[in-house]
Amino acid sequence: MSTLLPLSDWLNAVPQGVIAYTANRSVSKADLERRVIFWLSVLPAERGQHWAVYHQDSAEFLAMLLALWQLGCTASVPGDDRPVTRERLRLKVTGFVTDFSDHLVPDELAQLNEIERGNWLTLADDFPALEIYTSGSTGEPKAILKTFAQLDSELAALEALWPDDHEAVVISTVTHQHFYGLIFRLLWPLARGQRFETEQWQYTEDLFSRGLRYQSFTLVSTPSHLGRFNTSINWSEVAPRCCSVLSSAAPLKRRDSLLVAQLLKAPVREIYGSSETGAIAWRVQSEPYDVAWQALPGVQLSQTENSLLVVTADQLSDRTFEMSDRVEFVADGMFHLGERIDSIVKVEGKRVSLTEVERVVQQSHLIENAKALIISRKRVEVALVAELTEIGRQTLALLGKRKLQQQLKQHLQNFFEPVLLPRRWRFVTQMPYNAQGKLPMDSLQTMFVTQAIKWPELVSQTVTDKQANLVCRIPAELIYFDGHFAGNPILPGIVQVHWAEHYGRQLLNFIGQFDRLEVIKFQQVIFPETTVNLALEYHQEKGKLSFRFYSDKGVHSSGRICFS
Amino acid sequence: MSNLQLEIKQMIIETLDLEDIEPNDIVDDEPLFVEGLGLDSIDALEIGLALQKRYGIKLKADSEDTREHFASINALAVLIESQRAI
Repeated sequence: MSTLLPLSDWLNAVPQGVIAYTANRSVSKADLERRVIFWLSVLPAERGQHWAVYHQDSAEFLAMLLALWQLGCTASVPGDDRPVTRERLRLKVTGFVTDFSDHLVPDELAQLNEIERGNWLTLADDFPALEIYTSGSTGEPKAILKTFAQLDSELAALEALWPDDHEAVVISTVTHQHFYGLIFRLLWPLARGQRFETEQWQYTEDLFSRGLRYQSFTLVSTPSHLGRFNTSINWSEVAPRCCSVLSSAAPLKRRDSLLVAQLLKAPVREIYGSSETGAIAWRVQSEPYDVAWQALPGVQLSQTENSLLVVTADQLSDRTFEMSDRVEFVADGMFHLGERIDSIVKVEGKRVSLTEVERVVQQSHLIENAKALIISRKRVEVALVAELTEIGRQTLALLGKRKLQQQLKQHLQNFFEPVLLPRRWRFVTQMPYNAQGKLPMDSLQTMFVTQAIKWPELVSQTVTDKQANLVCRIPAELIYFDGHFAGNPILPGIVQVHWAEHYGRQLLNFIGQFDRLEVIKFQQVIFPETTVNLALEYHQEKGKLSFRFYSDKGVHSSGRICFS
Repeated sequence: MSNLQLEIKQMIIETLDLEDIEPNDIVDDEPLFVEGLGLDSIDALEIGLALQKRYGIKLKADSEDTREHFASINALAVLIESQRAI
């Protein structure tokens, strides 16, 4: 029943005509063939070699891919083009295709190649078409080979499940450099003869205006984007053109799934899978319960003794693969996802090994020992607890926490994509090991719970025997400003008294129970982000603490606290 | 630092849940992404939404244009001012 074009013979099989759209023009098969011929002419490649392919434009990327296949080479597809990624790849590939972008094609060769056009090589099903990379649990990127047979088998499973909407243009927020994007915005459309956009879009405003350009479209996206949909756009204008929305890379929140489905009046189809396995299960969420994931056609699922998901399918190189995700089966081939069991985590749909983050940050001469963790605040993010080296401590003292963080981030960004960089840092003299010598995750987690701010920032203090003078900066984040008063925050009087007593006891060393207040005067209000002085004097014989908040504006408040 | 610039900085710190950074630490004409403040693509999405919520600004559907507006605090201020003027 499959009407898919074989990727191994795609150039011969695909009819003439438009195959893709850039931001403002169409790309025909002839345009693409010209680029394939260019790459065929300039690449000094030989059969059996691996070449790295990175390009932001999907049509150009495709031309490189097709040229490599014609040359009998495997395309290595890195997830990004950061220097460290390139360095690592350099050891594994013959070269980088884009290094030959500026090469000129000799005229006679160009003519020769023109003649050859339309007479493309068909590759064998077991030819290793792609090599993709993903974070392994050790941190070193793991290479995964995909043959045409594997790719065709995965695409056939998708096509069996969702054979509709071949006319819809594929619009996407994901890059084809990642396997999910490669399959859903490029290879599956290719095999279906479906047109795709060559650019990756970021903002929902872009998606809206791109959608308006086509009679019908499909959106290939991720929870990162679908969870941040701009609802103030008049989506009803574009909704009739939207056939379906695909989401993968991480589970989509039910709330986000339902919202996007409602705005675009289209099914939001979620895919579960991995680079190793390709797509293996799907779901479309609905109210009111969590919808279970279902195996794709041709995929068999089972579990290990520790509830790890086991996949068996033709699209896998070894037929079976054990995932690192725990699952709970609710019926044959239907399951709910649990947590991962290794140190790999997903941040905004991107896989990262926490062990690798720790290893890389410990390379820095500023860091002695580091522990990376995932915290969930407004967004899920990487956080880091670190013991500093002597130089690290000096840097912290000299430049401050922010500059130190910046230096460390600079080092890390050679290795990790920006969204994977730690956003919160704690520098400690000693990791919070427990009595068993273990580092409990919850004690690391608590280090990132923001403390409610209840005290002023002490800029300076002078203490003599019975007197103290404190210079206090009043932070705007003080919890006492909350609701006191809405839009017009001032420091409550009772807080001033409380601070006076607290610092009095701390600095002037007296004991005694609070008894009463005397001659309390509140003369001028204290605003956020101002600096005030607090003068304290303890009268031992009377058991009274007198206090005075003052600034260059004069006295804000004064009084006496009597102790018994 | 004008009020608008300060307001944008506070909005960014609050919206993006940034830590260890004060409005004064953000330089008006320094890049917000990669170097400078070091924000990422998800932050860009969040800023886009915050601009809509707070100032009613609709981003033009042209990524090139948006990239320019998101270059720095000053560029964001120009964007907000220009939409106010309409």
